[in-house]
Amino acid sequence: MTGSDLRIRDLAAGYFPGHLVLHGVNLTAASGRVTVILGPNGAGKSTLLRSVAGYVTAEAGQIWAGDAEITRLPAFAHIEQGIGFLPQGRSTFPDLTVAENIELGGWIFRSDRRRLRAALDRVFARYPVLAEMRDRPAGSLSGGQQRTVEIARLLMADPGIMLIDEPSVGLAPGIARQVYRELKAFRDEGRTILLVDQDVRAAIAIADYVYVLSSGRNDVEGDRSSFEGDLGAMVHRWLGV
Amino acid sequence: MLTSALQVIVDGILLGLVYAVAALGLSLVLGIMGVINVAHSAFIMLGQFFALEMLERLHLDPVMSCLLAIPVFFGAGALVYRLIITRMERTEQNQGLVAMFGLMVLIENVGTILWTTNTRVITVPYSYYQMHLGALTIPGVRVVVGLLALLLIGAFWLFLTHTLTGRAIRGMAQNRDAAVAVGIRVPRLSMMMFALGIASAGAAGVIIAMVFPFAPQTQIEWLSWAFLVVILGGFGRVENTLVAALLTGLVQTIATALLPFDYVYLLLYVALATVLVARREGLRGVMRRTI
Repeated sequence: MTGSDLRIRDLAAGYFPGHLVLHGVNLTAASGRVTVILGPNGAGKSTLLRSVAGYVTAEAGQIWAGDAEITRLPAFAHIEQGIGFLPQGRSTFPDLTVAENIELGGWIFRSDRRRLRAALDRVFARYPVLAEMRDRPAGSLSGGQQRTVEIARLLMADPGIMLIDEPSVGLAPGIARQVYRELKAFRDEGRTILLVDQDVRAAIAIADYVYVLSSGRNDVEGDRSSFEGDLGAMVHRWLGV
Repeated sequence: MLTSALQVIVDGILLGLVYAVAALGLSLVLGIMGVINVAHSAFIMLGQFFALEMLERLHLDPVMSCLLAIPVFFGAGALVYRLIITRMERTEQNQGLVAMFGLMVLIENVGTILWTTNTRVITVPYSYYQMHLGALTIPGVRVVVGLLALLLIGAFWLFLTHTLTGRAIRGMAQNRDAAVAVGIRVPRLSMMMFALGIASAGAAGVIIAMVFPFAPQTQIEWLSWAFLVVILGGFGRVENTLVAALLTGLVQTIATALLPFDYVYLLLYVALATVLVARREGLRGVMRRTI
């Protein structure tokens, strides 16, 4: 599926009414590009992603996916709009098998078993290593293998916009590099990627455009070249040292 | 001697199947949703009187009533979910527990008003039929009850393990955020799971009424048995509930055959205490979760 632009305008959101984490954030994630959100801890990066995904309700502002406004779209309805979300941390269903985990990624096709089967075959063809372990409980896999299951599950619905929260957390460097290669492949397929990651260097390496948040507000932004210079200075500034 | 031992084992298995069906809904609602539904046994009692009313008013055999109870009690469960459980979602687990306890008391009192405290029994043409397998004698009604229980338990197991919706319900219990991300409407499936739990309680009530006398106030005994099975076997898995219930039935019948009656319950509750000490977690693991 080809992605569409994701536009966020003056977004204010937080986990409790009256206690905002985001204070009027603006962002555009262009179609077919990787847009990275950076910032120190507490900047509101994950909150921004969860607001776009519908898990945190916006108190003000607007979110658009292409021509559709999704500001108040419930979280479960995002995937039907072609917006996939990979949450932070482990998100497999540990007691279900690999095949069952991935199959649930096609929940929105549940009334069309032929389409569901075709999507499952397509995903297993893309990740043959998962096909080999299809009957193993997902909880018995390594961290990297579970992350692959989560990505495969995300692909079942073939989303045009992907919201990816901290994909490399807890993974060995080699596995993390594989995950980033996959994200590049998704971008090359024309999908819109909005990525939050603590690994600043790795995130900038695949970014087409970068936004830096600070205390829930836009700080600086620019294309990758603007950030490829002195990353150390930027991180030092976040840390206040 | 061998015949007596076999007779005790068969009786234990049939009794265990009754306990399994009594505990099934409680185990699944507790394990999958984290709801401690102490009103479960009140719905078992309603199922018992549902069977009685169907038999007396419509001359409907309890086997048919059991099938009919499933949609009727599913509807009742969905109503309870909408009226009570959804209001408890954002509150402490203790408030949900108190609400369900209140519902149990309400149902028992309404039951007492409608049907008095008199003990009832259901008698059908095959109530006194005895099956003879070699030297073994098995009451026909117990065989019917055992088959119905197996059918109900098997249907739940098949639904949860071999259907996409069943797997979605299990997935929802394991990772709610991920379930939402794939497009699952968690409140809708939660309602379905709770309603299925109540449906199983209603059907269990019909099944139990075929072999045990009942009255509105005796429902609490079934809550004890159901909790005993759930704590022994753990919650949320049909197969664990079945195994724990069969063990409970076997221990009870074997102990009854070997020990004075007073020691039977002592033995069962020592087994329960041993399991709780060994596994430590008990219900606390569920208490940490919200409804």
